[in-house]
Amino acid sequence: MIAGRLLKISDRGVLVTLAVILIIAILVPVLHLLVPPESAFHIPAYAMALIGKYLCYAMLALSLDLIWGYCGILSLGHGAFFALGGYAMGMYLMRQIGSRGVYGNAELPDFMVFLNWTELPWYWHGFDSFAFAMFMVLFVPGVLAFLFGFFAFRSRVSGVHLSIITQALTFALMLAFFRNDMGFGGNNGLTDFKDILGFNLQASGTRTALFIATCLALGASLLLCLAITRSRLGVVLTAIRDAESRTRFLGYRVEAFKLFAFTVSACIAGVAGALYVPQVGIINPGEFAPANSIEAVVWTAIGGRGTLFGPILGAVLVNFAKSWFTSALPELWLFALGGLFLAVTLFLPKGLAGLFDRKAAGGRRAVPAAQPEAAE
Amino acid sequence: MDKAANSILYLDDVNVSFDGFKALKALSLIIEPGEMRAVIGPNGAGKTTMMDVITGKTRPDTGDVLFAETRDLTRLDEATIAELGIGRKFQKPSVFEKLTVGENLALALAGNRGVRDALFWRMSTREKARLDELLEIVRLGAQKDMLAARLSHGQKQWLEIGMLLAQEPKLLLVDEPVAGMTDAETETTASLLKSIAGERSIVVVEHDMNFVRELDVKVTVLHEGTVLAEGSLDHVSADNRVIEVYLGR
Amino acid sequence: MLLAVALATMLTIALMVTHAMAADLATEIKSLDTSNFAQKEKAIAAIAATGDARVAAVLTALNDNKLLIRKADRLVVIAEGKGNVKIENAATGEALGEAAEADLDRIAINNKIRRQIKVILGGLTLFSDDPAVRLKAADDLFRSRDLSSLQPLKDALAKEQDPQVRQAMMEALAALTLVSDAPEAEKLAAVLTVKARGDQDAIALLSSVAQGSDAVARAATEALTSLEWARSFWDSLQNAVYGLSLGSVLLLAAIGLAITFGVMGVINMAHGEMVMIGAYVTFLVQEVIRGAAPDLLDQSLFIAVPLAFLVTALIGIAIERSIIRFLYGRPLETLLATWGLSLILQQAIRSLFGPTNREVSTPSWMSGSLELGALTLTANRLAIIVFALLVFVGLLLLLRHSRFGLEMRAVTQNRQMASAMGIHTARVDALTFGLGSGIAGIAGVALSQIDNVSPNLGQSYIIDSFMVVVFGGVGNLWGTLVAALTLGIANKFLEPFAGAVLGKILVLVFIILFIQKRPRGLFALKGRAVEA
Ligand SMILES: Nc1ncnc2c1ncn2[C@@H]1O[C@H](COP(=O)(O)OP(=O)(O)OP(=O)(O)O)[C@@H](O)[C@H]1O
Ligand SMILES: [Mg+2]
Repeated sequence: MIAGRLLKISDRGVLVTLAVILIIAILVPVLHLLVPPESAFHIPAYAMALIGKYLCYAMLALSLDLIWGYCGILSLGHGAFFALGGYAMGMYLMRQIGSRGVYGNAELPDFMVFLNWTELPWYWHGFDSFAFAMFMVLFVPGVLAFLFGFFAFRSRVSGVHLSIITQALTFALMLAFFRNDMGFGGNNGLTDFKDILGFNLQASGTRTALFIATCLALGASLLLCLAITRSRLGVVLTAIRDAESRTRFLGYRVEAFKLFAFTVSACIAGVAGALYVPQVGIINPGEFAPANSIEAVVWTAIGGRGTLFGPILGAVLVNFAKSWFTSALPELWLFALGGLFLAVTLFLPKGLAGLFDRKAAGGRRAVPAAQPEAAE
Repeated sequence: MDKAANSILYLDDVNVSFDGFKALKALSLIIEPGEMRAVIGPNGAGKTTMMDVITGKTRPDTGDVLFAETRDLTRLDEATIAELGIGRKFQKPSVFEKLTVGENLALALAGNRGVRDALFWRMSTREKARLDELLEIVRLGAQKDMLAARLSHGQKQWLEIGMLLAQEPKLLLVDEPVAGMTDAETETTASLLKSIAGERSIVVVEHDMNFVRELDVKVTVLHEGTVLAEGSLDHVSADNRVIEVYLGR
Repeated sequence: MLLAVALATMLTIALMVTHAMAADLATEIKSLDTSNFAQKEKAIAAIAATGDARVAAVLTALNDNKLLIRKADRLVVIAEGKGNVKIENAATGEALGEAAEADLDRIAINNKIRRQIKVILGGLTLFSDDPAVRLKAADDLFRSRDLSSLQPLKDALAKEQDPQVRQAMMEALAALTLVSDAPEAEKLAAVLTVKARGDQDAIALLSSVAQGSDAVARAATEALTSLEWARSFWDSLQNAVYGLSLGSVLLLAAIGLAITFGVMGVINMAHGEMVMIGAYVTFLVQEVIRGAAPDLLDQSLFIAVPLAFLVTALIGIAIERSIIRFLYGRPLETLLATWGLSLILQQAIRSLFGPTNREVSTPSWMSGSLELGALTLTANRLAIIVFALLVFVGLLLLLRHSRFGLEMRAVTQNRQMASAMGIHTARVDALTFGLGSGIAGIAGVALSQIDNVSPNLGQSYIIDSFMVVVFGGVGNLWGTLVAALTLGIANKFLEPFAGAVLGKILVLVFIILFIQKRPRGLFALKGRAVEA
């Protein structure tokens, strides 16, 4: 039955997206490394980093889609998981600097020397190891999401209330990370990275490798989400999204399913953040800003939630537009984003993906206009 | 607890109030294993609320609700109660509109409800056969891959009944199953329920008196949250208070 | 030596008291032109004895090394500035233009002279004709505890008539007694006097006396403990007032949201922008008044409040009619659409008024403060507390007792039924949303008085407002009131221990945990309305 839908339009979208990601993963590095800089086809390092950044955002949007599009959980604080993954990576990169910092202190990162700290805080230990840092990239967002979700879903906080407290969560984290005494660099965050795994971060080879890693991570996340949503678990998630209490009466422990999706989603967001940091070269508390999380929701909605490929499309397109606007017409960007958002919610509830889907026999995963709670 | 002896469902002195409004007042009801019971009563009598209490949706203010003599349903959540073997068909048809008919039934099929089971679940041949059998029973074989949203009202009722059967519950709570059905369909539903009874226990809520007559089982009349009369349909319809409630005022 | 100084002072004062102004100030000043310190001392005493109005100026200048002698004509001048200095005749105060520092000789003084000057100056102020000056002198003395002023203080106290000044002088005397070598009994009495004063300075003095183990130290320790108690009491009260005022700000910001979110179930992310627009209306009103009728500036808020309500209510109604009504039953989409709207509104205001803060003036009746015991209540805080409560009560009455309120509640509870009864549900929706937005606009007027009026004004309140509504319980105005005040007070009480930021984080975390425990907030409604 489920195999039977493998060729449904949204799946075709996913397949196409996977193919495009693969092509980009090959083409961009080739154009960057092999085509000489004089050529019109050469992709300079900054452009490759920019595309890499978009792809990280796409992963964040995908992670949101898993819970919002398929399970009806609208997180307005997903940026927090992204940022936490980013900080875990940032901490590793900070340790890699060693004694090459401004103060030349091999034991402590510059900002700690600046604050007259004498000892590395306990939670920084272990981040010298890449493996440990990568574990933390998954672990920290995962555990936070698990704990938060465990309590929230168990007490049946849902809908708008959940959205609001996720927003409060990321806001609280932002305030916390702004504090110098937290030991994460305060205002300035973590930056001035030198190298990763011993390779210079500025080198073309390293940048290309990071780019390819981002493509692979995005593709893998997409496949993971595809596997989840195509399994019976995906059917249960959809059921929960459309009629939560009805699902309960069938004997499904709704909170466990939500918790699973929420935690997986947070881990994907964490990985996205971890790949984002070395490519943009900085992570600071601004990443926790509630507006960032909402913006990620915007990408998801514009692309079309509940389709897996929609959010990826949305994230890339919106961010591309943002880059263009902010350089060409900076004052208009907020008008454009706000207007786009209004237009999409009002006229295109299924997002851009809905445009492709229109002729198809109404994909079941596409979100209905209204979602009445069936079990009254 | 021996008051509850030899019962599949035992309600005693159950009270429910919503913001001061008493929806159930000292409601008591005993269903024996294998019994089918029809519950009737005017609108707002508290029939649906009673089912809410049994399935854990609404917590009673006071009173005992026991399943299979020992399990205190007032302390369990909806999922646990469903897993114990209490299935429910809702008054408003509430199928999963964005899932196909087949998926709706597959979701309801008896089996493990854990996250891990769901992630790695593959339908076995036995389950496939069971699914086809159910589609047959509810006559939706042709609509298997259709979105439930596109079914007619009556077909949704059938689908819900199918989902209820798929759960293989020990106790079925059926809220107004024949609303929106044709006379012929009503008759089929009645015989379907009768064929299940005996093996399973059933509580049917219905306004349709012909249907209730068809069922030919013990009837409980609910009014303003309490039991007004109990007995055969003929017995209760001879009761003056019942006549007053239905015809009077 | 102390005796000598005291004697000299006595003499000085005696002379002053009799208004003996026989000697000429200019002549006495001239005799400062000597290198002999003893002669300078004499000259200073003589200057003081003239009782001239310029004595204080001259002696202060001498003390500050600003009394100089012009080399050319040996005239004593007071100099201001560095390098090229402005000079004036010390005796007359007549300005003499500028002079190079090199052309001037300094009149050197030693510590003994400094002390002498200080005593004289202290005496001068303690005996000033102006009670305010005498009061300040006594207070200064309490802080400086300069024993050389003991005698003049006693003299001044003996002839003091003003009760307030008398009190201050007695306290100063007690302070001096405590640091002097007075007998124990006198000191014990002094401890009590100082304790009765009870302010920060008294505590500082007592803590310095409390070192040691004699009876006086013990008494001081005791006094200190009871003072600390009193102080923590007043501190708590002050915190409560700060909390109350923060709470009423939160209440103002959240109450409109409580209507749109609580009553209608609409998440209006552009709520903060309504607040911001209200603040800008205040700005515009003041601009117009400044140009047209500057006398009315003090009344500007009375014009701004209704106008802000009107403007934001109209915007709110427009939003409801053009956006929200298509999204009923889809709260998450509403949230996102209104967020898009908030971006547009912010940017629109930024384009119109620029990104920087706009100056909104505070009416004179809102500045100043009220002292209540050790409590300081500033007028603008009080005004906001009162205003918030007025808005709250007004809204409550509107919802309870007006036809509109009735219709609104009917629509909230059962839309179909209400519409079947002939209520225009669409109109009620629009008006309700307008009301919520209008109240946000009013909040903006109030916030313009305490916060920066910038396009980002609303953003800083939106999360807090949501917290208040969710914490208080959706659909319950009383809950909103209690939640706002509780959160305000909790914030202010956490601040001293945890700091402002950590305090805020703690409050957020508390709410997040609280919502887990009681998903429906403090005052939860039960029943169908909330489930729908
Ligand atoms: N969650 C609730 N909040 C408030 N009142 C409720 C709630 N649930 C039920 N009621 C009230 O309790 C009473 C009983 O309702 P219930 O749905 O149980 O009646 P019923 O017997 O099923 O009626 P019908 O035949 O119309 O289905 C009604 O008056 C109803 O309005
Ligand atoms: Mg009913």
